[in-house]
Amino acid sequence: MNFYGLMILTAIEVGAVGVDLSAFAESIGATEKQLTFGILWGIGIPKFIMIAAIFMHLYGDADSKILTMTALFPAFFIIVMIFFIGLTSPGAPTDLPAWCRPPSWL
Amino acid sequence: MSGDHGHEHHIEPWGPHDWSHGAPHNSFAPLVMSIGFGVFLYAFANIFVMGELENISSMAGVMLGFIIITIGLIIWWRQDMSFDGVYEPQGVGAPFRNIDLRKVAMWIFLMSEMMVFTSLFSTYIRYRLGIPNCEDVFLSGEWVEGTTVNCFEPAAHLIASSWFHLAPGAVNTFALIVSSFTIVLALKTAKMSNKKYAKKYDIETANVDAHRSRKVGIYLGSTLFLATLFLTLKLIEWFVGFPTPGPLTDLNHGHSEIKSLFAEGYTIHANAYTNYHYDTSYHGGHDIPTDSALYAMLESGAHPGGMMMADIRVSASTFYVTTGTHGVHVFAGMVGLSYMTFKALRGGYGPSNAVSIEYFGLYWHFVDLVWVLVFPFFYLY
Repeated sequence: MNFYGLMILTAIEVGAVGVDLSAFAESIGATEKQLTFGILWGIGIPKFIMIAAIFMHLYGDADSKILTMTALFPAFFIIVMIFFIGLTSPGAPTDLPAWCRPPSWL
Repeated sequence: MSGDHGHEHHIEPWGPHDWSHGAPHNSFAPLVMSIGFGVFLYAFANIFVMGELENISSMAGVMLGFIIITIGLIIWWRQDMSFDGVYEPQGVGAPFRNIDLRKVAMWIFLMSEMMVFTSLFSTYIRYRLGIPNCEDVFLSGEWVEGTTVNCFEPAAHLIASSWFHLAPGAVNTFALIVSSFTIVLALKTAKMSNKKYAKKYDIETANVDAHRSRKVGIYLGSTLFLATLFLTLKLIEWFVGFPTPGPLTDLNHGHSEIKSLFAEGYTIHANAYTNYHYDTSYHGGHDIPTDSALYAMLESGAHPGGMMMADIRVSASTFYVTTGTHGVHVFAGMVGLSYMTFKALRGGYGPSNAVSIEYFGLYWHFVDLVWVLVFPFFYLY
């Protein structure tokens, strides 16, 4: 069941990129790129959960709870990397306001 | 010979085989392999500089690294070959009490892998959001022919431009999902009790082992085949390209071949920008949206048009490093699968040690999981 679900979600994912969605996107007040981005996220998250929970036994086994917590342990570091590195700009170190730059940079 | 506790001992120079005494997998082989990886990476890092072959003499180090890794692998596999799951050590203290230590070790390994891929994803996000998109720069008209613009060109711009370009990545996505499923089938088949197995396949109990070995071998072999397909298609997509099927040429703007990313100029070479450009005369300018600033500038004569040379090395690097790292993981899985298929066909997996397939499966599902993120954000968007 999980396998067929993943196959169907992947087919929708590929279709969302290959099919022209511009008219539909316009009808809901978005650009095609925004709509595609939303669909990819909307499909990627359940696919991720289906593989981790079912295929990797993070749901339903006696040791699922502790192993899920183990798998989530790096979450803090992942958040730090995504938000504090990924979402800064390449010029961030030099674009920092003067008050939070090292004195030697002033 | 008979041991002091009435157990069988099989002391060999390859390492401990006395599984019934409780010493599974305390092998020195991973240490040998670690040294090999160290030598390999150190030498490999010296060979290429900005995609150019710089130091061929380091190839000797690369080969030495390979040899040490291979020796480590052979020792490890030779030791594991006789492991039949008699003794599986479990955690005795919190928080992993009564959980197989190999399973815990695999999860801790996967945690470190998560950090590796997170660093690659955060790099990608940082550059993708922080560097202006090439198409946006082109359509803004804020460029001068003859000068190079530093901009971000997502590989998806090329890959998702037609169904043909998308085909290798899309087939690969399905191949990985199917391969995850074949691993699950291999585990399920290996785990089944003899009685249940004989009933399910309507065979004599005496024939179960041979039948099971063949079936598990086929499932693991299928996974290996799908992994090979994945890397083959990746190489075609990166370096080779493929011809457009005759009747479908019209759907590919009349072109008879789908160029590889390399042939399209999507490279990390120092002179990549000389091969990669946007051109106002492409398709007679029909691809320039009429509501863009560039179109208005061209119409009013404020812009002479021509070619915008794009320096895409950063975007190409993030694409190749991330998808390449994932590809290396697939290759590592193929190496493991080759051994496991061999062991399965020799009757190495049954209900008592099916967990070995489960623990490899964790790694393989993780590789699939990473692809679930790589595919949409590097290939589609």
